Order: sequence, then structure tokens, then C-alpha cells
Amino acid sequence: MGTETPMVKVEHLYKEFDTETKVLKDINLTVNKNEVIAILGPSGTGKSTLLRCLNYLTVPTKGIIEIGGLRVDAEKHTKKEVIELRKHSSMVFQGYNLFKNKTALENVMEALIQVQKKPKAEAEKISLDLLKRVGMLERKDFYPSKLSGGQQQRVGIARALAVNPNVLLFDEPTSALDPELVGEVLNTIKSLAEEGTTMLLVTHEIGFAREVATRVLFMDGGRIAADGTPEEIIDHPENERVRQFLNFIKK
Amino acid sequence: MFKISYFMEILPIIGSKVNVTFELTIVSTIFALLVGVVVAIISYYKVGGFYQLTRVYVSIMRGTPIVAQLYFFYYGLALYSAMIRNMTPLIAVSVVMSLNMGAFMSESIRGALLSVDEGQKEAAYSLGMTNFQLITRIIIPQAVRVALPPIFNDVINLIKTTSLAFMLGVPDIMGAAKIEGAKTFRYFEIYAAVMLIYWVIIFVLGILHKLLEKKCASMY
Repeated sequence: MGTETPMVKVEHLYKEFDTETKVLKDINLTVNKNEVIAILGPSGTGKSTLLRCLNYLTVPTKGIIEIGGLRVDAEKHTKKEVIELRKHSSMVFQGYNLFKNKTALENVMEALIQVQKKPKAEAEKISLDLLKRVGMLERKDFYPSKLSGGQQQRVGIARALAVNPNVLLFDEPTSALDPELVGEVLNTIKSLAEEGTTMLLVTHEIGFAREVATRVLFMDGGRIAADGTPEEIIDHPENERVRQFLNFIKK
Repeated sequence: MFKISYFMEILPIIGSKVNVTFELTIVSTIFALLVGVVVAIISYYKVGGFYQLTRVYVSIMRGTPIVAQLYFFYYGLALYSAMIRNMTPLIAVSVVMSLNMGAFMSESIRGALLSVDEGQKEAAYSLGMTNFQLITRIIIPQAVRVALPPIFNDVINLIKTTSLAFMLGVPDIMGAAKIEGAKTFRYFEIYAAVMLIYWVIIFVLGILHKLLEKKCASMY
């Protein structure tokens, strides 16, 4: 379990797209080192928005986000702070979002060379190790267009791991995959969980969340409606909305 | 009837003017590309103030005949600008064709920039890359591949459009044809020669265009 070192802290986070659409309402959350947190909930309740606020792909309306000791206040953030904040996390996307003009290896190396300014040889060594870890070493010289969805997503995971983030953010990583390709990606994520990678995972795979998560958040209407262990939230839900949701999913 | 001997005699005389066509094409292409890139970037980022201006420019250039633009520039604007009055016809034509083609190319380039999906940009940002790194390492390399074939097509159109240069007195292929025609009145052979010359040039470029399209499509 966690060593109780906070990696991510979210304080009073709000996101309003306009006065009518309040997507996040006063989110407070602390993520400790080695925690694997699954975020569940119905569509449109702000799960992805919460994740995207953490690296400012969606700019929060107000509130504080702290990752790896760097605090950014939404109401007075600067461009520089945002770029620094982003260097502390990395994201795996629903649509993989690999750079199409780069090979699998180049995709993983890109941030190491451009952002972390590592020498090419070192970046290549790190990247090859990671590609091996996600089982994509043989395809290192393939362009994304020549890879299946599952393979692309595994490269996406390697790319996100390369920057050695404080927290790894997964935004529905298997939702765009053909059913037979989901397994390979989930297995990759599971092995990361076993190695103690700190992760936040928005997913609809309840069974998977039950298996790998150390903690489950249930979001409803822009708030965290339930927060607990997988046993508490998934096996013995007390919250009525959680029960409704789980029943609905099981059907 | 069609006199082969006259046709063969006239062909090299008219053909000797292709250098004017090439000159016009190359100069206009270079400046049109410059204009196109600048306008495309302004449109892509919707740069405040300039954006509306570029939209008006593109709309006028694409929405009016190039002959009218040539006359408007060389005979109309010249009334109020000593700089234009002092231009040689070749330079005046180059200016108008650069501006005209620049508008078309800017749209080809803008489309190419827009073709790079939002997801890749988000991925770059999520890794802490700067806007500059995103543009130079991800967007431009992909946009070039998308933009090249349509830009090449624009250049092919430009070559044909240069045949209007003689309207301002530039002695190009059309000019040579007109001069010969005034001497012999054998328009049948003369304009057959003109068409053959343009057709050969465009045909060769057309083959290059096909090759380029194939190469761009198979790059990754």
C-alpha cells in the first residue's frame, strides 16, 4: 500500500464551461504515492474533465492543483507554471494520440529529448526498455498507421511512462479498442499497478477496476459521491447512486 | 491547310520564350509560398485583427478574375503609385500572380495545418512540450505532407495563368505567337504550337505530381 506521500493534491477545484454548465463542483482529492485510483461514474459527470484539469488540457475555473510538490492556482496560473505542472504527469488517451509522423520508438523518445533534454543515446536506451516492457520492442520502427489499436495504446503507455511522471493519468484507455484488443492493454496497466506506479484511471471496466485499483472514486454530477476501497465501493456499495450505476452496468 | 513545315519552323521560335514562363512561374511560386504560409498561420491561429484582413484578401483574390486583377493593378493602382508606374511589366505580373496564387496556396496550407488532429496536440502538451516544439516537430512535418500535392496543383495552374502576362506586354510564349501571327496570319499552326508547348510542360509536371502524391501517401 501507499507510503502516504501525497503525489497529487486537488483543493476546491471547480470547472464551469459557462454559468449553466458546471462540470466540476468543489473537488478535493489527495493521491498518495503508489496508489492506483479508479474513477467510475456515469457519462458526463466530469471524470475526464477532472483528469484533464490535472494537466491543464482543460483549464479549471478555480482551485488548486499540486503534483509532485508544484502548486498551481487556477485563478492566477501562468503559462510557465502550466508547462512545469505538465512535466510532473503524463497521460494515456482514449484515442491513443500517437504522433503520426514518428515511429513507435520516436514517439517514446520525443519528450525525453525535447522536454527533458536527455542525450539521444540515453533517451533511446530508456525508450527501448519501455517498449520491451509493454511488449512492443519488435515493432519499434513501425509508424502508428501500421499498428493495431491495442499496439498503439501500448506505445502510448510507454510514451507516458518515459517521462517518469509522478502520476500517470489514463483517460478511458480501452474505450476505443476492439473487444479482443482490450486484454493486452489492461494487462499492461495491471503490470504497472503491480510495480507501484501511481495512477489515476478513468474507466468503464468495472471488473478491471475492482482487480487493480487500491481505491475507487465514484463521481456523480460533478462531485465525488463515494470514495473508498474497491471492496467498499464495488462489492458493498452503500451509496444509492453507486448501486444504480453498478446494476445498470451489469445489465 | 495545316502546314507541317511552317509548324516546325515556328515551334522553336515560340518555344524559345519558355524561359519567360519559367521565370514568372518560379518567382511567383516562391513569393506565393511566402504569402501563403504567413496568411495560413494567421488564419490558423486567428491572430486578432490580421485574421479578418486575411479573410478579405483571400476572398477578393479568389473571387475575382486574375485578368481584372492584372489590369486593376497595372493600369488602375498605377495612377496613384509611382512605384507601380516604374515597374516593368514582368515585375508587375509577378506581383499580381504571387498575390493571387498566395491566396490559393494559403488555403491549401491552412487545410493541411487543420488536418493535424487535436489529439496529437493534446498529447504533446500533456508531455510538457511548448507550442513551438509542437508546431515544428509535430504539426509542420505532417502538414507539409498533406499540403504538397495541392500546392503542386496550384503551381500547375500558375503556369497556365502566366499565359495572361502578355496582356501587360510581357513577351512570353503568347507574345511570340501574337507577333508571328501578325506577320503570317497562320494562326492555326501558331496556336497549335503554343498549346503543344504548354501541354508538354504541364504533362511532365503532371507526372511529377502523381509521383509526389504517391510518395506523400506512403511516407507513414
